Amino acid sequence: MLKRVIPALLLLGLAGCGSVGERGDAAAGVALQLLTAVDSKDGAAACATLAPETLEEIESSAGQPCDQAILDEDLPAPGQVTGTDVYGQWAQVRLTDDTLFLAVFPGGWRVVAAGCAPRGEKPYNCAIQGG
Amino acid sequence: MKRFVKENALGLTFGLLFLVVLVGQAFAGLADYNQQQLAEGLQPIGFARYVTSASFGADVAENWQSEYLQFFLFIFLTVWLVQKGSPESKQLDKVGRESDKDQKVGPYAQEDSPKWAHASGFKLFLFSNSLGLVMGAIFVVSWVAQFIAGRAAFNEEQLGNLEDPMSPVQYLMAPDFWNRTLQNWQSELLAVASMAILAIYLRQRGSSQSKPVGSPHTATGDEN
Repeated sequence: MLKRVIPALLLLGLAGCGSVGERGDAAAGVALQLLTAVDSKDGAAACATLAPETLEEIESSAGQPCDQAILDEDLPAPGQVTGTDVYGQWAQVRLTDDTLFLAVFPGGWRVVAAGCAPRGEKPYNCAIQGG
Repeated sequence: MKRFVKENALGLTFGLLFLVVLVGQAFAGLADYNQQQLAEGLQPIGFARYVTSASFGADVAENWQSEYLQFFLFIFLTVWLVQKGSPESKQLDKVGRESDKDQKVGPYAQEDSPKWAHASGFKLFLFSNSLGLVMGAIFVVSWVAQFIAGRAAFNEEQLGNLEDPMSPVQYLMAPDFWNRTLQNWQSELLAVASMAILAIYLRQRGSSQSKPVGSPHTATGDEN
């Protein structure tokens, strides 16, 4: 498991810096990493992409460790990146079947919310989110 | 050196105070920003990152644009508008751009007049309006900067609230842009109106912004 998690964390470490284009690409990379990991049933790698509060929220609402709970969440398979927006410490990554919100942490971009669907003027309704 | 400082004390003092207060604003803004970051379970950011952020940029630019708008309007409108009894106004019979003789331009320029006061045509027009034009240009640039930085700062909040960011056209119509803009404009306009009117009846002995203490309330402009 460590073999997969350590490279993932190194990659994440590089994220969150650079130009807007590079930062958007880095955020999209982390977003795809989450959905790819969930799709391949790799809970540990999926949880390594999450923001601390999102991870806590998943564990507390499921009553089990993140690497198990994340696999039960209603997250779509990774699709094509259709757009990214980066503003300050936040990024939105739009995929063909999902929208994710990420924020910058010491290790780089981390997913704050995923499995998000728009609700008009209201905030997105997300399958997983922190806070 | 001592003489230079004494003769330029007004500009130097305000320039220095500006820098001190700007640094103070940067530290206070950083603390405020990080307080919100921590409340949302996010990471605080460093000083360098904050002073290059849209949030700081918008806070600075929104105040700059309104100050320069105030000066721009005051400089241009006082060509045509007067205020009886105010030292901020010119004399009541001098409404308008005034004669070349009054303005010491063209053939009426004096030996010690600036070089462009001797000129004619576009050069003279440009120099004759340079103060207002520069203030107006700084206003426009600052307002555009507020728009760009304000949109980025607003969109950062939008993403933090799990909402979509706004396009430039959407932000141009957004309450956030106009609220930031108008709350600054109203205070500047109030300050100018108060200064123009209060200075009719009140005095500050020795100040260039006041009439002499013994001048009558009806004395306007430099007829004191």
